[in-house]
Order: sequence, then C-alpha cells, then structure tokens
Amino acid sequence: MWRAWLKGGSKQVAKFSTKSEAKKGGFPILQGHPAAEQHAEEVVESQHNIQRNVNNQKKEFKIYRWSPNHPHQKPFLQSFFLDLSSCGPMVLDALQKIKSEDDSSLTYRRSCREGICGSCAMNIDGTNTVACRKPIDSDTSTATVITPLPHMYVIKDLVVDLTHFYHQYKLIEPWLKTKKPPPGGKEYRQSTAERWRLDGLYECILCACCSTSCPSYWWNPEEFLGPAALLHAYRWISDSRDDFGDERLQALTDKEVRLYRCRTIKNCTATCPKSLNPANAINKMKAKHRFARPSEKSDNEDQRA
Amino acid sequence: MGASTKPRLSGMQLQVLALYRGFLRAARMKSPEERSRIEALVSQEFRRNSSQVDRKNYLYIEYLVRRGKKQLDQLKSPETVGLASLNVEASQAKTS
Repeated sequence: MWRAWLKGGSKQVAKFSTKSEAKKGGFPILQGHPAAEQHAEEVVESQHNIQRNVNNQKKEFKIYRWSPNHPHQKPFLQSFFLDLSSCGPMVLDALQKIKSEDDSSLTYRRSCREGICGSCAMNIDGTNTVACRKPIDSDTSTATVITPLPHMYVIKDLVVDLTHFYHQYKLIEPWLKTKKPPPGGKEYRQSTAERWRLDGLYECILCACCSTSCPSYWWNPEEFLGPAALLHAYRWISDSRDDFGDERLQALTDKEVRLYRCRTIKNCTATCPKSLNPANAINKMKAKHRFARPSEKSDNEDQRA
Repeated sequence: MGASTKPRLSGMQLQVLALYRGFLRAARMKSPEERSRIEALVSQEFRRNSSQVDRKNYLYIEYLVRRGKKQLDQLKSPETVGLASLNVEASQAKTS
C-alpha cells in the first residue's frame, strides 16, 4: 500500500516538473505524432505572443470578396481589423468574429472546427489549409491574406465550386468490391500488418487543399484526377479486403492522363493539413503499374534460363 | 444591300445559346401545360439577363451559365415535374 503511495507521490513531483515543459511545448499526449506536436507548439507560441503584446495592436485581415448579388463589382480584398486578444487562436475563429461583429455578409464554409470535416479549406497567406487548424500569425505588422482555393470557380466570397472534385472522387469507386462473401458470413478479416498499410491513406478528409495546389491539376482539371482522388484510389488498391485491386489500377491507367499527368511537383504533400503524402501514394501506384506489366525482355530471359 | 454574313458568336455566347436550347429540349419532355410555363420562365430570365448584364462582365456570365447548367441537370431528371419561380420585390414601407 505504501508502495502505491510512493508511486503516486513521485507522479506528483513529475507533474510539477513537466508543467513548465508543457508551457514550453512538450505535449506528452502527442508523443509519436511529430506533425501534431509541431502544430501544437506553433499554436502555443502564437498565443504567448498575443498575450505578451499588452498594447493590443489590431491585426489586419485582407479577405477576398465577390458576390453574385452585386455583379457589377469586381472581386477585391477587403480589410478587417481584429483585436487578437478577444478572439480564439485559429483563423476560423477570426472569421467567425468578423462575421458576427463587422460584416455578416462574409460567406465561407465551416462545420466541425476541429480539422476533420474539411469544409473550411481556403488559401491563407499563400498556403492551402483548413482554417480551423491554422493558428493566426500573431505578427501585427503584416496583414493576413485569405483567398478561396486557387483555380476554382468562386460561388461567393470564400465558397468554391467543388462538384467536379467530388465527381472525380466518385469516379474511382471508393467502396469495397469483393468476389466472395465474407468467410463465416460475418466480416472480412484483416491482419494488423494489412491494416497498417492503410495508415496515412484513410485519414484524407477530402478538403481539396492538395488538388487545388497542384499546377498539373490547374491546367487539366477535367482529365487529371488530382492527388486527393488518387490517394483514395491507392487506399482502395492497397486494402487487403478488396478483391478488385488490379482492375482498379487498370481503370486508372487505361486512360494515361488520369494518373500520369502527375509530374511529382509535390505541392500536395507540402500543403496537406493532415500531413498526408499523396505524392508517395501516386509514385507507388506508378511503380505498381510499371512493374506489374510483363515485358518482353523478362519473358526471353525466362526462356533462356 | 450586300450579302449579310451572320456575326461570329464568341465561345461564351455559344455556351449561353446551348444552355437555352437544353432548357427548351428538357421542357419538351414534360407535360404540355408545364412545358409552356417552363418556356415562359426560361425565356423571360434569359431575355432579362441579356439586356441587364454587361457583355464584358465575364465573371458574372460564367457564374450564371454554371448555375443554369446545375438547374438544367435537375430539370432533366425524370422525377422533376415542373418549374416555379417566386418574385421577391424589395418593397419599402412608406410612412405617410
């Protein structure tokens, strides 16, 4: 019993020593997730900067505005000034505050406020991210420029037409296709190793940040499927429960434009708000397609041997 | 006078005309009284926009064409029975 008390006591001491660490940026709960740790450190740092500036300088936000209700007005960047100490840490909080206090005609999509739905994807200071996961840059000397996702048709302000993007996702048939019923009639079994292969592929939230950052997708949106759809295609190809992997790959590469318009620009990996790697998935699919085809050379070698 | 040559229509003008044609073709599939109503509404909308919207305002014209295409896709589906519109006039209350 006294052993348990000793353990508890040491834990108390450990709490006091790690509290200062937590303020610096050590997040024990996020261990093993380097991207999440880095993001959390950024947020804590920006909040500290805000609290340190007691003079409460206002931060300027330049937001893209265009409304079909005022068709004669060309699109422009409207400036809003916001007191950062009275507002939440993320860009979405700033947008909500501006909409509620300054201008209620500001239009944008938002839903979960935690980076899982992908609705609030927009271009903030030149990078495509989800607004609910991007901390406000606490430097009040420069303005933050918020524009809709690049090279997409704008419906109003920051809302963008994503119908074609969703249509391309539908094209790859993102559902399980099997040839046999499940063994025992219950469920399709999968080993842990087979499930690990899906890590880094299933987390995609279809926010469209990667596809709209790819120059190849800008110039050929009708033909090239885009990194998001291709990432999901690879997710279904590498799923061990799915029996139609080869047919899926063939459907992708029949019309070469769908996959091979990728030029490994890697903008997609750089901008993904969930730190996924679509470029890697596309490369793996290209490799699978090239090495799976029996070439004449290898046939001759087999005959000689 | 001399032989009248048809003016060459720009790509955007052809798109608008194709959309108008699509609406009239979709109207043909519906019942006769609905067909006349759809044709009246659509032609009224197109004529109003052609006079009010500036020829050079590409942004707004493309937006209208995209919106029209989506509405046409909805109209084309066999479940859609007809088309109706609501006139919202900003009436200002006059105090005497």
